[in-house]
Amino acid sequence: MTTLEEAFGDPYDDGNPLGHRSVLAADERAAVADGAEAVLDDYGLNAEFVPERLGGRLVEVDELVRRLRPVFRRDAALGLGYGVTSLMAGLNVWLGGSDVQRKWLADLLLGGGKASVGYHELDRGNDLSNNAFTATRTDDGFLLSGRKEVINNAARADAAVLFARTGETGGGRDHSLLLVDLHQLDPDRFRRLPRYRTHGLRGVGLSGFEFDGCAAPDSALVGDLGAGGDLALRSFQVSRCVMAGTGLGILDAGLFATLRFALERKLYGQAVADLPHARATLVDAFTDLLTADALVTTATRALHVLPAHASAYAAATKYLVPTLLEEAMNSLSVVLGARFYLREGAYAGFGKHMRDLPPLGIGHAGGVSCQLTLLPQLARLLRKRADPAPVELFAAGAPLPDLDLAGLRLFAPSGDPLLAELAGTRMAPHLADLTAEAAALPARDTGVAAPPAALGLTDRYAVLLAAAAVTGYARHNPTPGGWADRALERLADRLAPAPALPGPANEALFADLLDRATTGHGLGLDRDPVTRTLA
Amino acid sequence: MRYAAFGDAERLEGVLGDPGDPDSVFSHRACAAYDDADAFPAEICAELDGFDLASRYVPTAFGGRLADYQDCVQTMRMVARRDVTVAVAHGKTYLGAVSAWVGGSQEQAERVGALVRSGTPMSWALTEQAHGSDLLAGGVTATRTETGYRLDGEKWLINNATRGGALCVLARTDVNGGPRGFSVLIVEKDKLDPASHTPVPKQRTHGIRGADISGIAFDGALVGHDDLVGREGTGLESVLKGLQLTRTLCCALSLGASDHALGIATRFAGQRRLYGRALAGLPAARHALATAYADHLLIEAVSVVGSRAIQALTGEMSVMSAAVKYLVPTRTEATIAALRKLLGARSLLRDVHEDGAFGKNERDHRIVSLFDGNTLVCLNGLVNLFSILTRTAEQGAVPDAGGLALAASVTEPLEPVDHKKLSLLPRRGSSVLLALPSAVAEVEAMAVLDADLAPLAAAARSLLDTLDGVYAAMRGLPPAPVNVPPASFAVARRLAACLGGAAVLHLWLRSHAAALAEPGPSTPLWRGGVWPTLALDRLLAMAGTPTPAPAAFYETACAVLTEQVGTGRLTSLFDLDLAEAR
Amino acid sequence: MTATQSQSDTRIPTDIADWLTERVASYLDTDADSIDRDLPLAEYGLDSVYALSLCGDIEDTLGLVVEPTLAWDYPTVTAMAEFLRAEVGA
Repeated sequence: MTTLEEAFGDPYDDGNPLGHRSVLAADERAAVADGAEAVLDDYGLNAEFVPERLGGRLVEVDELVRRLRPVFRRDAALGLGYGVTSLMAGLNVWLGGSDVQRKWLADLLLGGGKASVGYHELDRGNDLSNNAFTATRTDDGFLLSGRKEVINNAARADAAVLFARTGETGGGRDHSLLLVDLHQLDPDRFRRLPRYRTHGLRGVGLSGFEFDGCAAPDSALVGDLGAGGDLALRSFQVSRCVMAGTGLGILDAGLFATLRFALERKLYGQAVADLPHARATLVDAFTDLLTADALVTTATRALHVLPAHASAYAAATKYLVPTLLEEAMNSLSVVLGARFYLREGAYAGFGKHMRDLPPLGIGHAGGVSCQLTLLPQLARLLRKRADPAPVELFAAGAPLPDLDLAGLRLFAPSGDPLLAELAGTRMAPHLADLTAEAAALPARDTGVAAPPAALGLTDRYAVLLAAAAVTGYARHNPTPGGWADRALERLADRLAPAPALPGPANEALFADLLDRATTGHGLGLDRDPVTRTLA
Repeated sequence: MRYAAFGDAERLEGVLGDPGDPDSVFSHRACAAYDDADAFPAEICAELDGFDLASRYVPTAFGGRLADYQDCVQTMRMVARRDVTVAVAHGKTYLGAVSAWVGGSQEQAERVGALVRSGTPMSWALTEQAHGSDLLAGGVTATRTETGYRLDGEKWLINNATRGGALCVLARTDVNGGPRGFSVLIVEKDKLDPASHTPVPKQRTHGIRGADISGIAFDGALVGHDDLVGREGTGLESVLKGLQLTRTLCCALSLGASDHALGIATRFAGQRRLYGRALAGLPAARHALATAYADHLLIEAVSVVGSRAIQALTGEMSVMSAAVKYLVPTRTEATIAALRKLLGARSLLRDVHEDGAFGKNERDHRIVSLFDGNTLVCLNGLVNLFSILTRTAEQGAVPDAGGLALAASVTEPLEPVDHKKLSLLPRRGSSVLLALPSAVAEVEAMAVLDADLAPLAAAARSLLDTLDGVYAAMRGLPPAPVNVPPASFAVARRLAACLGGAAVLHLWLRSHAAALAEPGPSTPLWRGGVWPTLALDRLLAMAGTPTPAPAAFYETACAVLTEQVGTGRLTSLFDLDLAEAR
Repeated sequence: MTATQSQSDTRIPTDIADWLTERVASYLDTDADSIDRDLPLAEYGLDSVYALSLCGDIEDTLGLVVEPTLAWDYPTVTAMAEFLRAEVGA
């Protein structure tokens, strides 16, 4: 089978219909490159979103993230627009749906159909508990009323999973999820909203749905009445990991672009890559990409290995990884200079990637909502020392237990097995500080009205988790020489800025980076084969 | 208190009207439409011409109305707070002309002044496709002829290159190049043989999409002897001196972009309800707003001192301009990114919230840290000054106390600028830094009598300790003019933070009495050293020596911010009614 | 920077060219032997703006106040030394 990388071809080949030039031209039209979706159809990307027992190829979530990487490396709008939303919709159904619903949606996706997921309402944002879209019980089903806005693929989706208010008790059981066949709805009472124009992710078809007392059958209900919040929060654990993982492809492409430029471009009589500052920036971005990858890989494997803890790991990953990636892209942009600001030329793709990265991080699972997921669990997670995580959490290629979505918990049990990796490391004192501060936090400071200092604890937890992922990964796998030390140094800097001055770039890491770029390998932990060329 | 430098800004606001009113020429809606179409905002620029804005780019000595650079900054800020693209498109003329103010004869400066006042857009043709910020690698040549020079070669990524009627071109007058091998030439397009120059097509950009970012190719374009600015071989010098001014003035773009982003985010937080309460009532959101505002007040203070220094500490602009041009745009980028997270999906959407201005503003503002000496060039400029700054400090060089007091006392009138006083090096060091110990002592003495000032005194002391650490680091670094190591850049960042912090402290010390004597909505910021303490908190965190301000100070800032935005005032240390208030 | 301090207290270096060569070599982090005194400093990659700093060394060591652009107008060690020798003598 042709890999996606092979099918997409060299992005720097101006004659490639799926190269940067075409992707950028399509972006101007707020579209994805002609033929790009056909590549994904041929590859059967939707099958990656469907569990194996339902006929798809979804077995291990970390493998899914790796398979999506070539798509996001090419064009984030393609990746998001084609199907990641179908996965988000699907997860709810795989988790809570009936056998009939599962089979129906699986067949629809495997047949090339699309599903939207309707959580978002413009006036409510992250606040699912106050969603206004309602499903009113009738004798044989529901009447749907209200709007879901800024919904990916709403204009062309065949199905949608909708998060709807079904109760008014004021608790966590007021919402339910409904899976609807959009082709079966009364066209007089349902309409698809016009497309939103956007500043970034321009090729993604974002629109919405409007319902006006529109009937849906009883069989649309996913799981129990009132189970919507519960199902959503558990599905988010997977989708948060996956969405954080999609960003890795963007930084991979951005780092390659900057390296390509720095090798090609002469400034003050030498290649930019030979300027110490540029070289250090490249190596730091490489380090942070690997760090982010370690956290994503560990969090996705934890979905299988430590499902009870996944709620915390997924939230921390979705919180920290986009920040790491965005900061790295910002630093790289300084090396590229004016080139990234242009919408034409060999490095215009960098500017597009940089523009598209932040909006991948917003939406129903944005930064603050991740922090608010973490905060109430923090003291309990840290309270007692856990046994270290089993080796398959870290060992790449080690078989994983089946993904048991029902085993995911909203609240992690006491004792954090991943953080146990930090015992005896330079990070241990930081962990002790955090544990003490979290223990001292009054319960009233762990909710939506949390003071900034309390939210700051979640930031530190996420950084320590990344350090644990780096440590654990490096202990069980071969990694680029010097990476783990440098990664921990940079993470420690985030916890407490050090007065020490940075040294020159680690030459071994630069050599590794250069070797990958020269030999057509990806810049992540797995060194996947990539089709792209230096100048 | 009111700030006299807002005079022109206030008049301009009166002319332009509320940018939220879609019927006004310079409305957010109009700017968004130009942006969609990658179109030059011609109608809006014409409105600015109607205000005779360009005459504010020409120093009074050369026939214009530019008496104070600080006025120019605040007026351009009003343009940028509406739309950075327009500010870049119109303000570029100042950059095009500055070589004549700095390096030209009185006659040349008057000639260029007349061109600018007549409404001719000018551009500054420095960069070329293959060389970017490496000016001495430039390949455009000016070859001597009997009547002057002939120009050959292409300038690229030049703002206004196509629409502009005149340019100041940096060209090689000695084939061997080198620092004396370049000269600046004034080129008036209508005096050229039309066959001797062609426009290089506009480059499409991610931000400032409407701006004319293009180029010009010369092929035997003939100019006269009197078009040579200054003597032959002085091109680099006049460009570097001109950049000292333009890098400082760039702060107007950042200030305006920061005003704009803060306004949108503060209004959003006031309207938005989440988890059953107003977003603006959630402590985390309040802290995000207050932190962004602290950064904003910091860049405003640095901009005020920096632009006043053009006239008050003219010979020190090499160090001041590099610090301003590094600090102000990068702080603003961070502010906008932080506010973007507060705004969520609305930052992405073109049509949902305030004409999609938030996302456009962020895209537009990114240009500021790229042009006129990007972040690295400015930091490198500071690295180049390490030796003179350490030496002057160790030799106990005496700060220019009078000049510093003038730069930091916003109620004091400034002397007209003398461009001849610009210098490539701060020969007597940086007064802002040299006077920091005495400023810190002054704050500490005040804090003995007024316990409310204890946080400011602690922050000031921490700043001084940080500066000592920076001096030690500068001494410890080997001279490295060729391959500057990452450590030098890190020290340059900390040095910039110290320069900014010192400017903050001097401004508060010299101006707080006047501010408190004239109560207004901004008064709570000045009382008890609230704003300088917040600004130092932000700077010291950046320098790796965090000294957090009290939470109550952030609450005070948040209250003033909410009040300013809610009543249509400028987000500022000073009181100014915007057009929205009327 | 005690080294500079003590330098400024001492007398003028007997051979200005030797002294300049040493300064330039230290900026370039190389040996004085490898500096060709008749080659423009720019050829060694000495940034023209950085070269302005030389005026500070000259001021400290020779007690001469010179234009920062000295290194631009006298772009080689030999040319600069000749100029300085004349200035010191004057």
